[in-house]
Amino acid sequence: MRIGVFICECGTNIAATVMTQKVADAALALRDVYHSESIQYTCSDPGQRTVMAAVQKHNLDRVVIAACSPRMHETTFRRTVAKAGVNPFMMEMVNIREHCSWIHDDTDEATEKAIDLMAMGVAKVREEVPLFTSKVPVTSEVLVIGGGVAGIQAALDIADAGIPVTLVEREPTLGGNMARLDKTFPTLDCSSCILTPRMVEVKHNQDIRLIVNAEVEAVRGYIGNFEADIRKKATCVDEEKCTGCYICVEKCPSKAPDEFNAGVGESKAISIPLPQAVPLVASLRKEHCRRYIKGKCGVCEKVCPADAIDYEQEDRIFTDKFGAIVVATGYELFDWKTAYPNLGGGHYPDVITAMQYERMLSASGPTEGHIRRPSDGAEPRNIVFISCVGSRDESIGRPFCCNVGCMYLAKQAILTKEHIPDSQSYIFYMDMRAVGKDYEQFYRRAQRDAGAIYLRGRVGKIYPLDGKLMVMGADTLSGQQLEVAADLVVLATGFTASDGAAELAQRLNIPYDQFDFLSESHPKLRPVETTTGGIFLAGTCQGPKDIPDTVAQASAAAAKVIGLVSRDEMETSPMVAEVNHMRCIGCWKCIEVCPYKAIEKQKLRDGRQVAIIIESLCQGCGICNVACPPSVVSLRGYTDNQLISEVVEVLR
Amino acid sequence: MADLVTTIKQTLKDVELVLGWVRDPATGVAAPARFHTEEEAEAAVFDSTCVHNLAVHLPRLKGRRLGIVAKGCDARSVVELIIEHEAEREDLKVIGVGCGSILDVKKIWRRFGYGVEIDDRGDSLELGGERGPREDFLARKCHGCLEADPDIYDLFVGESAGGPAGEISGGREEPHPLSAMLEDLAPAERRAFWREQFSRCIRCYACREVCPMCFCRDICIMQTQVPHWAGGEVNARESEMIQHIRVSHLAGRCTGCGECERACPVGIPLMLLMDEQNRAIEDMFGYRAGDSLRARPPMQTFSIEKDLWGDEE
Repeated sequence: MRIGVFICECGTNIAATVMTQKVADAALALRDVYHSESIQYTCSDPGQRTVMAAVQKHNLDRVVIAACSPRMHETTFRRTVAKAGVNPFMMEMVNIREHCSWIHDDTDEATEKAIDLMAMGVAKVREEVPLFTSKVPVTSEVLVIGGGVAGIQAALDIADAGIPVTLVEREPTLGGNMARLDKTFPTLDCSSCILTPRMVEVKHNQDIRLIVNAEVEAVRGYIGNFEADIRKKATCVDEEKCTGCYICVEKCPSKAPDEFNAGVGESKAISIPLPQAVPLVASLRKEHCRRYIKGKCGVCEKVCPADAIDYEQEDRIFTDKFGAIVVATGYELFDWKTAYPNLGGGHYPDVITAMQYERMLSASGPTEGHIRRPSDGAEPRNIVFISCVGSRDESIGRPFCCNVGCMYLAKQAILTKEHIPDSQSYIFYMDMRAVGKDYEQFYRRAQRDAGAIYLRGRVGKIYPLDGKLMVMGADTLSGQQLEVAADLVVLATGFTASDGAAELAQRLNIPYDQFDFLSESHPKLRPVETTTGGIFLAGTCQGPKDIPDTVAQASAAAAKVIGLVSRDEMETSPMVAEVNHMRCIGCWKCIEVCPYKAIEKQKLRDGRQVAIIIESLCQGCGICNVACPPSVVSLRGYTDNQLISEVVEVLR
Repeated sequence: MADLVTTIKQTLKDVELVLGWVRDPATGVAAPARFHTEEEAEAAVFDSTCVHNLAVHLPRLKGRRLGIVAKGCDARSVVELIIEHEAEREDLKVIGVGCGSILDVKKIWRRFGYGVEIDDRGDSLELGGERGPREDFLARKCHGCLEADPDIYDLFVGESAGGPAGEISGGREEPHPLSAMLEDLAPAERRAFWREQFSRCIRCYACREVCPMCFCRDICIMQTQVPHWAGGEVNARESEMIQHIRVSHLAGRCTGCGECERACPVGIPLMLLMDEQNRAIEDMFGYRAGDSLRARPPMQTFSIEKDLWGDEE
């Protein structure tokens, strides 16, 4: 056994606090260490060449590199030692930067600690055994969950690479929340005009299979080899036959709430959410349909010229194999009514949400682009916009920013002025957040061109007076209390995770945060990956963001997916759990605790049942290792004996 | 004991064997036994010397149809073993017995001599002709008894106690008699106390062998080189280490049956450690091993705590 120890100075990052030469000298005194040296920048080309040269000159078979976090350069140095002919897993990294030099001031003490850490690394590397990566085949088809702008973008980007995509959307049409918007900041281009061509592209792309009215019910398998059950809900309409002629919608006698239009206006039990729907087919909601409530009707079946109505239709389940999954389940708007009784709690009809206002502004919306007060249909003059309703509010347990409220209120103020030239907009805000490209100019434009009056302060109360809504608030800039008489109040409600996001995350075995937004693997370095290999995030399911960021993240996820599934096989990390079958007692505690469902029972030829690890599924988290009473499950590269050696070394 | 014998005979029609007790003719106290035939079952007894927790045999007999005679405390072990898949409820016929608390036979023998005749009158004891207060000779675990009737059983024999054994503890768990003493000690003194205790350990592993939940038996990391958690030497340090391992392996699994302490030939108060941990587990997770078949043991559950993920920057 011949160990080489290399201490990185990292310029002055480490050398300013840790006497690296002293650490190198201490290393030479340790058993089995045949070479040690301090290197200015080990990760640099000359630094790596120094390591390689030393390995060859001193015939080293194990290497300890004391430098930065293994998250930074473990891969680098594995490659370095491999080039020098050492098994890459016989290299142990010791973190003397984040764990030592950066957090200590006293040079003597920091050096002493660095020596301890280095010695622990040497103790561990002594117990190292060569490990080898293995390969598993990769299914090329990709599953995209959610057909909003993120899902659309990801699906199109992936399909453009010639990779087959299945896009699953819960609603009857593609488009998601973006399809409901009128114009988009900061360019004021029409949302439909930029989105619907993309929706149509999805429909016509030969590599994309679109399944609407469907949800992912179960997911099994692992990176490169997932299997998903997709439930397509019965809609009583044969999608193949329906031509989207609207006759059934016109004749349907059952009124129903209009979710697409955020409750502005009414819909029918059988309906098409918007004229540009993709696919353009009707769907029937049984909970509102007279036939299912009262037991008699059948108008749609009678009037349908395409014979597309099928009341007997049942849910169908598709099961398919996928190499990767993109989750793009989007967001919903915060339901503000119970949280904010001071804003009327939903009792005043003329207090509406910004999404309802958006639908009024839209030329294809229920009011055909006319701004009308819900109470009397009159055109409002004074319109008060209130920011941060359900955002940045610790008192209701929602401390985060919605990222888009400031900008969409500026947009709505500009559009209001265009629609009603003699109107006056007031915007209550907390802080102006205009951090995107051209956003600051856009917000100035709302002030300058649209004459919006910005009032910095929270609204305390809204109460009705003589047909108006009195909005009481503080202007924290002038220090005055003020009251604005409004004809219409528009609330910028914050984002929440979409309904069922946490349940889906559990089905996919991916983590989510306390607000049910799905968690990325690393906020900076792995922003579209989840902690489960092969599952990626796109858009607002991961956290509030605007359209440019959503689309960028979707393309990023697509790039990751293409990189993954364009290979026939993929390497799996050998640092996974393994079971000593001779000693497994079959208590199945490992199976119960495994968060990745990576352990199964297997019957041996002697009839005993033991646990086996599915290596491609195992993420090497080590929980099974801890749960196993006789410790016969071990984590390669982190065996009990390696950890014991480290502890014994530091206690010596 | 006609009732018990009849019940075991009846159970034997359905199962391969029944775990129970017979009277040891040498000492006159109960000893564990396996009944395979109706004839063997004639010898079955249940009295206040039936201290053993017979659930310890279940993992070894996994997969066979069994009957087991169980006191309330034993039944808790049965429950925990079923939860941990070491016994199948369907394969098991539990014969519950009404228990009016049991005796610390070793203590009696120490005082009155080995094999002294024990005449348990229910409210008092006659030991070799001498009359003594029964409470003085109760098994330690009965002082902390929570429920003398088994929680699960298929057949029941004897009188239901309807609460804790003999109404001694009033349903409250009683701390180990030594725990108050230990609490007053400074950390260094406590350490010295345990060092002294473990210096007597001979590493016979009786604590492990008699524990129903230590079902790894000889595949135990107290004895392996890979992984090498404990050395093989017999000394206080290693014994303390192996006991640490045993205790932490029983976290959220120990039903407090007290067999480890009873079996220890050198009298190490092992239940002092277990009690402390059991209390901590109950405080932290609201879990007491053996309470319910439907419970999920806290140490064998993986769940993502949302708050843990929320803090990530």
